[in-house]
Amino acid sequence: MRLPAVGPFRADFWRSPLRGPWLASVLSSALLPLVAICAVTGFVSHWAYEPRLGGNAVFGGPGPGNGFDLYGLDWPTSPAWLYAATQGAHVISGIAAIPILLAKLWAVIPKLFENPPFLSVAHALERLSLVLLVGGSLFVFATGVINIQAWYPFGFSFVPAHYYGAIVMLAALVLHVGLKLPIMGAAFRQLGVTRPLREDLRHAEPEPGLPGVVTSAPPSPAPPTLTRRGLLGAVGAASAGLAVMTSGQVIGGPLAELAVLTPRGRGRGDGRNDFPINKTFAAVEIPREKVGPDWRLLLHTPDERRGEVTREQLLGMELVTAELPIACVEGWSTTQTWTGVRLADLARRARVDHPTAVEVRSMQPRGSLRSVTLSQDQLEHPHALLALRVNGADLSLDHGYPARLIVPALPGVHCTKWVGKLVFA
Amino acid sequence: MRIFREKYGAGPVHLAAILASFAVAAYGLSRALDLASNPDRILLWLGGSIVAHDLVLFPVYAVIGVIAASVMLGRGRPSRLRIAALNHLRFPALASGLLLLIWYPLVAAQGERSFMRVSGLSKDVYLERWLIITAVLFAVSALLFAVRAPWLARER
Repeated sequence: MRLPAVGPFRADFWRSPLRGPWLASVLSSALLPLVAICAVTGFVSHWAYEPRLGGNAVFGGPGPGNGFDLYGLDWPTSPAWLYAATQGAHVISGIAAIPILLAKLWAVIPKLFENPPFLSVAHALERLSLVLLVGGSLFVFATGVINIQAWYPFGFSFVPAHYYGAIVMLAALVLHVGLKLPIMGAAFRQLGVTRPLREDLRHAEPEPGLPGVVTSAPPSPAPPTLTRRGLLGAVGAASAGLAVMTSGQVIGGPLAELAVLTPRGRGRGDGRNDFPINKTFAAVEIPREKVGPDWRLLLHTPDERRGEVTREQLLGMELVTAELPIACVEGWSTTQTWTGVRLADLARRARVDHPTAVEVRSMQPRGSLRSVTLSQDQLEHPHALLALRVNGADLSLDHGYPARLIVPALPGVHCTKWVGKLVFA
Repeated sequence: MRIFREKYGAGPVHLAAILASFAVAAYGLSRALDLASNPDRILLWLGGSIVAHDLVLFPVYAVIGVIAASVMLGRGRPSRLRIAALNHLRFPALASGLLLLIWYPLVAAQGERSFMRVSGLSKDVYLERWLIITAVLFAVSALLFAVRAPWLARER
């Protein structure tokens, strides 16, 4: 069945001489590793939240089948920059993939209008899976990019949608790679992997297409106005530029100066508290008096109260100072020097000798991440701290005064602020 | 087997792979819809993202590109100088458009209140930054064109 040959359904409507299976293959070869990094680090981030502990699961509860979790294997506490690295890689690779994804869609868009639309049942099913691939990819990239800019126009909760949207995308992507690998091989054999990059404008021949395959190579190409190396160079430069800019809010240092068009290339706070935050004190609606001189840290076991300590008493305990990064799921991180009391020492003060877990509760009255449960590994780490000071100054209210949690490699949203209670198990 | 191939259009492995992929995708989609308070919004965004790219973004930039090319290249066989002039417009325009596409919520200050609540920062710096980057991109491109132009004009 053929559609009427009008507009984009006419084969000679698409005239760019650069389109074809070779270009699509080159772009895919660049896109695939970035998507792979982005996908793996995304699943790793889910694991880093340790959803099986306490109320840590962001969606679906702690039971099995609620996302990727290496059961029995704790998220490591070393190296301390582990989560900064994996989540930074997630956001950088995702953003760097966008120009390549858009170029890839540009390269193959004539196939959206291929005519006849269906050659066989097999062909129709393949095209249906492309709906999942293109829709799933655009959905996952768009939701991710919008979310890190703290805009929430979705009307659905971001985490499960982004997570399971990625599974839809990957299911279609694995099939797509399997089906198209032979075409990629044929395109590279036909034109060579890099040979078309050497052509200048006078010698830029249109792609011939592959015999017996419907490709995006144009049947009646226009004369070229751009070389293939020009096009791919521009796409590569855009991708690299975005990656460098975004890495400025992960790595910091001199790179931070380049992060001009990223959500978190800027500090927040005064003096020694001048580094980014993920939730302001004003946003959490904790009454002022609760963080005043009457603040007490409550020490509990699941069954009973085991005492309370004032901030002065905490400052009188053995203080540990450690330089630790804090890394946000949104893909920015910052390393600061924290001073506080070891969680292990607080467990002893609560007369719990061998704690297997600790639930750290914020005084925040609402919100999904106001409590976190740490594994034994995490709470016993010598740098797992209830921090009181940062860079030698008291924590600011925005950074969690009177006390906040800081643990090596713990995702930033789990480094609970305005801590009011510790429950040792 | 031959009959299967004729009726289906490919081998049985193809069908098995397609069905496996659809099964995993259906699992993912059903979980996303289950966990969402507004499942119809997920379907809207999933379908809407295809429409937004294939039927809005692509046609818009393609038409702008065609118009720019016809204006810059004129009739007949275009000279290398004219082609270069077109490309020195294309690259900064695409880069600027890409930055706007990705960082639109920053540049257009969408979600300003939630951004202020989480970060304590305002989005009001980003429009200016994007405009400056855009201006620099076009200026650098124009400068490079000016350097290349005499050399391109000589070439036939």
